[in-house]
Amino acid sequence: MDSNSSNNTKRNIYIVVLAIMVLLPISVTAYKLYALDYPLAGLIPTHSYNVEVSMQTDGHGEAINIRTYLPKTDSRQSVDNEHNSSGAFTTEITSDQLNREATWHADSMRGQQSVLYAYSVRANHVRFNIPPALTIPDSYPAVLAPYLVAEPGIQKDDPEIEAALRRIVPIHNPTILEAVTRIHRELQDNMENRNFSGFTDALTALRLGEASCNGKSRLFVALLRKLNIPARLVGGLVMQSGSKRTSHQWIEVYVNGHWVPFDTINDHFAEIPANYLTLYYGDEVLFKHTANVNFQYFFKISKQLVTRPDAQSALSQSMLNVTNFYAFFERVGISQNLLTILLMLPLGALVTVVFRNVIGLETFGTFLPALIASAARDTGLLWGMIGFIAIIIVSAIVRRALDWLQLLHSPKMAIMLTTVVIVMMTITVGGVQLGLFELAHMTLFPIAILAITAERVALMESEQGGMKVVQISFMTLIVIAACYVVMDSLFMQSLILAFPELLLVVIALNLWLGKWIGIRVMEFLRFRRLIMKRAK
Amino acid sequence: MSMLNTLMAGLIDARSRAKTVLSMNRRNLHYIYTRNERKYFPLADDKLLAKETLIPLGVRMPETYRVYSYFYELRDLEQSLQHLHDFVIKPAQGSGGNGIIVIAGKKGRNWLGISGKVYTLFDLKKHITDIIYGVYSHDLGDKAIIESRIVQHPEVAELSLLGLADVRVIICDDIPVMGMTRLPTRQSEGKANLHQGALGVAIDIDTGLTTNASFLGQPIEEHPDSAIQLIGRTLPYWAEVMDLANRTAQAVPLKYLGVDISIAIDGPLLLEINVRPGLEIQNVNDRGMLPILQGMYEHEVVSK
Repeated sequence: MDSNSSNNTKRNIYIVVLAIMVLLPISVTAYKLYALDYPLAGLIPTHSYNVEVSMQTDGHGEAINIRTYLPKTDSRQSVDNEHNSSGAFTTEITSDQLNREATWHADSMRGQQSVLYAYSVRANHVRFNIPPALTIPDSYPAVLAPYLVAEPGIQKDDPEIEAALRRIVPIHNPTILEAVTRIHRELQDNMENRNFSGFTDALTALRLGEASCNGKSRLFVALLRKLNIPARLVGGLVMQSGSKRTSHQWIEVYVNGHWVPFDTINDHFAEIPANYLTLYYGDEVLFKHTANVNFQYFFKISKQLVTRPDAQSALSQSMLNVTNFYAFFERVGISQNLLTILLMLPLGALVTVVFRNVIGLETFGTFLPALIASAARDTGLLWGMIGFIAIIIVSAIVRRALDWLQLLHSPKMAIMLTTVVIVMMTITVGGVQLGLFELAHMTLFPIAILAITAERVALMESEQGGMKVVQISFMTLIVIAACYVVMDSLFMQSLILAFPELLLVVIALNLWLGKWIGIRVMEFLRFRRLIMKRAK
Repeated sequence: MSMLNTLMAGLIDARSRAKTVLSMNRRNLHYIYTRNERKYFPLADDKLLAKETLIPLGVRMPETYRVYSYFYELRDLEQSLQHLHDFVIKPAQGSGGNGIIVIAGKKGRNWLGISGKVYTLFDLKKHITDIIYGVYSHDLGDKAIIESRIVQHPEVAELSLLGLADVRVIICDDIPVMGMTRLPTRQSEGKANLHQGALGVAIDIDTGLTTNASFLGQPIEEHPDSAIQLIGRTLPYWAEVMDLANRTAQAVPLKYLGVDISIAIDGPLLLEINVRPGLEIQNVNDRGMLPILQGMYEHEVVSK
């Protein structure tokens, strides 16, 4: 039959299109991954820490100096977004081979003054394998000499240190691995950790049999230097969200051309976690300041997820790369941020389709939840949802008032939109006044979205009543939250940015859902009496 | 062990019964999109167009007295209405029963609404102006229809004291599938809308016998307002109702339809046609309609 054969053709075309939409993007993605060697690990977002060093002094008219160390970017940690807010102080930052020093100076200072230095840090977890056969060399290049000598707090030639070394490493001519293993285990297992912030030299730590990080580290360095293994102290910060005053010290051992980290407080053997921030090398003090100025400091640390810029730039090296493709957009002033929003919209729409057609929730429009979720990027989910509820309430109230005045539809809608814009502006101003800066971004809620919402709400309320609006608003909120979780996921964003061809898979899923005739979850509830009735 | 068996048997039963339910997705994809072309939707949305199309083909609908499309036509309103004391004013493209005024008598120079409300000439003029403005159809411009008032058959009126009842018959490819009548209640404020609290009473389409009833989603046997027994009645003029429904379906190029009919004292009249008839009729009938739809065409079962 004619209609039958045309139906068969339609069906065949559908299957072919579906197959293309699945196979094409998957083969392009596979090609990128295997032939072009896209770094997949780079897609998983990493943690970044924002560190704020806050320093405060109380001056009485004298000159004040504050000196501290700032972190350097190296192969393990990268430091950027540095901000110095020093008020009345002048700032000088100097850098040598090892350390970067910041000095804040004021000639005559009265009253409370503060300095705030902020930066963000991404660091990696690094672990070293020390070859077991490696023996202790007889001599080292001259540059390593400073890491082999005795220092005031590192009394490596003291007879007690020597005796302790013989006890801990009783073997003659140990390998490097044997030596560091025995000393690390001794300090970690047989020496008590003390939460004491004062200075402890190597000898005192040994005599007490207990020490904080700086005492243990000095003893570790003293024992190694005695064995003719170069070692040095490292000062830094263990980054955890919150405020803290305590810094940390660990050591690095020179093994076969590498400086290998050890920490006998937290038992890190030849490894260093990703939340360790190196601030300086050597037996130094983190803060130095003019006496009697009531110097106070603390670190404020917050953690966030970020994409890996190194992976993004690695992607740009390969052929068929994404960053070059995105460069076109950048040339006309479309930011990567906007592009990300654009690329995530199809995913949000897919989530909405699943909620509408498979679960059976009703929402205001198909795109609205995804649009509101992307608008909530700037405000956060909570404020985004509050903004959405505010729009609904404002438009419902205004509509009632305008209905009472009996106006025509389009001018009524225009008044409603104007009111919503005014309310959003007011919320922004109020947010700034109250210091709620997430709220301040409410203005960025795209106007088009407001317009759609306000109009849909008004239509629905007049056609189906206020109760229905409340129900659908609630269901829309659920879908907005789901869209937000998917669209705000850095993993999803990185994935789509690296493999934009996967949007075809989104089309394929919608093609499949477009033919899905199953019973929606909510329909099971609706027809539950019919479905669950007892057999007669 | 036996409990588990009972449970399993129950689940298998539920699964097979779930397969009888026409779901929203299936209705849209397999019945509405394939059988109702969008270009014919105005036949369902515009009551005036429906009348123009269907009445010449022998479908009985309420008699149109007058249509107002422009404001200047309102000058002769008083003259037109002078001798009418039993009529309905409704928007041609209204939905959900909004914007309808039912006049059932005169009181001096004024008109008396069915609820007892008095309408002056100005009131009616204002209402028609609103309709023409599009207040009830979200559009700039509609038409106001003034037509004869339907007087319900007493056997129907007995069940539906608070408003106009209607009979809904689902027709697919010119074959009637399922039927029910919707009775306004106090809860629904006189409207024949199931979601607003109208009673749904299932009708066996072959005999016109009422078989089940549901009120706000719950099975019920007596009318919640009057305690009249709902089940086991036969609706009057049933053969004529089905004849009208079939005639309507054959007259329009829409092939999955809800036909809404009112049973007047002198026989059935078509109220309107619906191109997206709801699924709640299955709950009212206490059975899914998919087996009936698929039974009509074996190939649909084969091709899923």
